[in-house]
Amino acid sequence: MNRRKFFSSTALSAAGAMLGNTLAAKTLRGNAAATTEATGTAASYNLMKDVLKYRKLDAHVHVNLYHGGPEENIKFADRLGIEKLFISRPITSGPGTPQDFIESNNIVLKAIKQYPDRFIGQFTVNVEHQQESLVEIKRCVDLGMVGLKVYTQVKINNPLFFPIVEKMADLKMIIHMHAMLQLGLGGYRMKYDTKMRPNTSIPEDFVDIARRYPEAMFQFAHIGAGCDWEYTCKMLKHSPNVYVDTSGSSNDEYMLDYAVKELGEDRVFFGSDNCYYQSVGKVLAANLTETQKKKIFFDNYNRVLKKSGKNIA
Amino acid sequence: MLIDINAYVGHWPFQQLQYNTCEKLLKRMNQFGVAISVISNLNGIFYKNTQSANEELYEELKSNKRFRDAFVPFAVINPIYAGWREDFDTCINKMGMKGLRLYPKYHDYDITDPACIELVKRARDKGIPVAFNLRMIDSRQRSWMDIDYVVGTPKPEWNLKNILPIIKAVPDAKFIILNLANATKLADEEMALVKKTNLLIDTSGRSINDMGVELKNFGKEKFAFGTHSPILDYVTGQLRIESLYDTEADAQTKELLRSGNAKRLIGI
Repeated sequence: MNRRKFFSSTALSAAGAMLGNTLAAKTLRGNAAATTEATGTAASYNLMKDVLKYRKLDAHVHVNLYHGGPEENIKFADRLGIEKLFISRPITSGPGTPQDFIESNNIVLKAIKQYPDRFIGQFTVNVEHQQESLVEIKRCVDLGMVGLKVYTQVKINNPLFFPIVEKMADLKMIIHMHAMLQLGLGGYRMKYDTKMRPNTSIPEDFVDIARRYPEAMFQFAHIGAGCDWEYTCKMLKHSPNVYVDTSGSSNDEYMLDYAVKELGEDRVFFGSDNCYYQSVGKVLAANLTETQKKKIFFDNYNRVLKKSGKNIA
Repeated sequence: MLIDINAYVGHWPFQQLQYNTCEKLLKRMNQFGVAISVISNLNGIFYKNTQSANEELYEELKSNKRFRDAFVPFAVINPIYAGWREDFDTCINKMGMKGLRLYPKYHDYDITDPACIELVKRARDKGIPVAFNLRMIDSRQRSWMDIDYVVGTPKPEWNLKNILPIIKAVPDAKFIILNLANATKLADEEMALVKKTNLLIDTSGRSINDMGVELKNFGKEKFAFGTHSPILDYVTGQLRIESLYDTEADAQTKELLRSGNAKRLIGI
């Protein structure tokens, strides 16, 4: 089946042409005007129809961190047909006290109350405060949050993380860790000080913790956030319990083709990190099959959620 | 109709590129509904004698009739290298190139070097645009052999302000600013300069986080569709236009962004 026949035969593309006014319809089908106008642009390609035919779960997105508040998230989610956003607010500055991470999680919970049909939470902790972190994980899971998002306070393979990893494995929930790899810093050539935090996790750290805990699941954050994605994917190739998300402001051609080539089509999640245009554009531009794009946009992350019974119907 | 004002053929020495020949780019254009691409040869960034790259592009364009309608070539000129004036004349008058791509950082000269100013004035006199990019790649993932303009360091990537000195020096020239990255905030007098200049910004750059907001800031005449292909993905630059709500851009504005502004500035 070629691309055009696929459009005409899918329920979503047909529904997309009708364009209802409900929130659900907006979520799935996005902006009616944009779709209509795009039809008249290029006879051979209707970009917005392509955008809106895929269900999407954003596995990496933040609220109240940059680019405005929750309304801004929803504005872009509607525009690009992103159905559910797995929001977090990691601690990107300051000491990361228990008070800090509880406050961050409360910001996420408040946003979820504002848009309960669209937002699902990932909680954050700082494992330097181990007992408080474990208590916070229980509180957040009890409130419906579905995964852990952590930042650069401690490397992912630091022993301080071990009890947290074990807890998350028990919960069958994924650990989403901020990650980076610059060949000039954080990799193997410490030539430039780009102000990257020394405890930033790099691919080698993920390989290490994933080998120690094969029953746990890890999300290497944003291969599009400036890390060397070829290096990253090669390094993670043989760590089957490490997933990558596609988010970040960099939208290099062939990034996703390469990720699927190295990691397989089941270990790549769609994510934006609030860079919405690039995050959708890079998937649509990739020379992947319809099945592979559906897996990236929706199925792969949903399969992980299913392990804890938190999947989207 | 879509006109891509920011595409390339050729090689990037630190990473294998896909879709980096006229034939491969044309397939990409047909797949995603792009009628015309403004192209230059990436090799011109790395050859000391950029004219070799212009000749390569010229020969490739001559090799297939279909390329003549699909591509608008821009010349890469290094104004601090011997023979550049003759190269300029050859590219514009004999090879039919319709604009210039300049790379001050890669070719290691200041944007207000007297030779650069002279080159831009020559372009102005010919009525052709001069294009600068803010960056070719995200410096966070640069090769250890690439230029050392690195984000987060005392020698950072360029932002919009870095282009303003040449605009001030030749304010009546036509300019194209590509791959808008980093800070876009300008002082009032700087924004006034940008607004009164015959200038286009392409839609490929990461700093366009909200196209509707940028249209308000800079004006609908200041943007044109661009991909930065084959370095950046082929869809994102188009998505910034096509996903605009009617309240952000009416049909006429979208046509300006897709092709109208490009036609006006480049004269195609």
